[in-house]
Amino acid sequence: MQNTSLWIILQKMRIPFIVIILTYTIAIIGLVSIDGMDANGNVHKMTIFDALYFISYTATTIGFGETPYTFTYSQRLWVTFSIYLTVIGWFYGIGTLIGLLQNKTFLNEIARVKFRRQIGHIRKKYIIVLGFSYVTNEIIKRLLANDMQVVVIEKSEEKANALILENYTPTVPVLVLDAYKANALEQAGINKSNCKAVISLFEDDALNLRIAIVSRLLNKNIQLAIKATTPNSVNNLKDINTNVIANPFSTIANELKMAIKSPNLLKLEKWIYKIDTLDSHLVKLPVGKYIICGFGRLGKNIYRALKNEDIEFVFIEIDPNKTQEFQEESLHQMIIGDADDKNVLLKAGIKTATAVVAFTNNDTTNISILATAKKLNDDIITIAREDEIEDVSIFSNAQIDYLFMPSKILVNKITNALINPLADTFARAIKRKDEKWATSLVRSLVQNIDANPVLFELSINSSQAHQICEYIEASNEIALSIFEISLHNRNLKNNVIALLLKRDDEIVILPSLDTPLKIDDKLLFACDENAQNDIEYIAQNPYEFHYALNGEEKTLFKKG
Amino acid sequence: MNLDKVISGFFIILAMTLNFGFFYGDLDSLEAHSKYELFAAIIVNLIATTLKLGDKTQMGSVLLATSLVADIQLIAAAIVWAIAYYVYVIDKEIVAIIISLSGGALLANITSVALYVGETLKSKR
Repeated sequence: MQNTSLWIILQKMRIPFIVIILTYTIAIIGLVSIDGMDANGNVHKMTIFDALYFISYTATTIGFGETPYTFTYSQRLWVTFSIYLTVIGWFYGIGTLIGLLQNKTFLNEIARVKFRRQIGHIRKKYIIVLGFSYVTNEIIKRLLANDMQVVVIEKSEEKANALILENYTPTVPVLVLDAYKANALEQAGINKSNCKAVISLFEDDALNLRIAIVSRLLNKNIQLAIKATTPNSVNNLKDINTNVIANPFSTIANELKMAIKSPNLLKLEKWIYKIDTLDSHLVKLPVGKYIICGFGRLGKNIYRALKNEDIEFVFIEIDPNKTQEFQEESLHQMIIGDADDKNVLLKAGIKTATAVVAFTNNDTTNISILATAKKLNDDIITIAREDEIEDVSIFSNAQIDYLFMPSKILVNKITNALINPLADTFARAIKRKDEKWATSLVRSLVQNIDANPVLFELSINSSQAHQICEYIEASNEIALSIFEISLHNRNLKNNVIALLLKRDDEIVILPSLDTPLKIDDKLLFACDENAQNDIEYIAQNPYEFHYALNGEEKTLFKKG
Repeated sequence: MNLDKVISGFFIILAMTLNFGFFYGDLDSLEAHSKYELFAAIIVNLIATTLKLGDKTQMGSVLLATSLVADIQLIAAAIVWAIAYYVYVIDKEIVAIIISLSGGALLANITSVALYVGETLKSKR
């Protein structure tokens, strides 16, 4: 019995129905038992049908007149009484029904049934997004652009309405319910085979963890993209095999470290996450003395990222309680005081510092700190973070040298991990490489392809690379270099760089072109659009594959 | 004592007894079959049906189904009777149709009562 709304109506309509039946019965019995008179003055008794007919149009206030013969006065007395009786009964019934249709529970039930039907109709892969905010809005847009469907669970009706106003295509079904309830996830179809992932990016770590555990228990194959801000919750999420753990603070810390130590690696990462092109101008953050204001969750992450590097840094924190756990080992690197105070900045050595990083959790304080610092030392590099992406940014007008936007990174990281898993693997793998390696890769990408190469993933399986599979199954050997061939002229090469080869659990970064292919290999290419086209043709089209392999056209019939 | 149970039990059993009262008698003439009794049977059946509305349990659904069957058969009998009376003639065939329809409704009502009694016996409260 899934359709609860119908049952609610039926249950609530019991009394009105009975009232209608009873009033009709009383009126009909009266009409049948009272003597009438026909045109000739003979006694005429109404039949049950006559009475039912008369009462039906009287109760509904239609009123066709007295049938079959003009009524006697005793009949009219009874009819006067019945009119009030039946009309009241009828209106009571109609009134209850209309009241029910406006009932909140009933309307919610209708919305839920509609939602369930929408879920049932989704045939493509889809992803459940919990909570609607600026960040999830961006994620939804990207997922839809990549041919995924999205389902949203949102607690507040207001935000759900905002989502409906976004007018996504295809429609994004939205369920107004608390997301942490297992029931909500179940209704959103977490058990369906085409439900691929759950994204939960709430501010509250405990809530995110709870959702992750519930989702994992409901569907052990589902991918999870969960936000976490403390090392403790990151570990908890790792314990339940969370696929993507989004930690905005460690992301900023790592980016800061990369910006100082290996800017080209950062450039590669930004290109993979589609934030920037490879030839974009990066502000150089030199190795030197860094003054970091704020030692909260973000400050601690930066401390962990920088402590083993040869970078000099000083933290300024206003709240002495926050600094307790790190005090012993880094007393000389910690100043307790208001970072917005000129004297505190001078004490931290602002005159000799290379850069000042304003990472307190108050935007206006941050801007004020940077303005003060700039006044004290004209050459200093100013660095800030902007948490919420909004239409009007106060930071873009504040002339800050280097602005971190964790929400932007969050959006790109999560969508990339869900849509292009190989690119995400690549981005994570190159973190271990050094600046020299990154510089040479950036140069070769820009020279061989262009400033913004397409990332293209190909799996050697029967649906994506039918021809290659057939060829390998016939126990032939074929090397990676086949994908480099230009179909325009076999002797020319396309602009392709193979970035990654994934075979079982083994990952090869920049595989050499003579690597033999195997079935179920997963490949990641950087190429231009023309090359991507050619690769797809070679992988699937028998004629093009034959040409690429042998340099001649395939013929169906042997020419005699 | 549960007043709800008394009321619904009353109507469910009254629906069956009235139905039987109409059905009982000579099968090929309407003399022993009062139209007022058919009217009463229809009304009581409708009320019994309404009382069963909105019960989400398995038993509630089956009870509702039997009641609907009885309603349809009795109302069909009444419609056949009314049409025959006003626009046609009441011959033997019509009589047979009216009485056998009400007989069918009686079976549905008996099923309904049997289920109802069974459920009551099962209940420990």
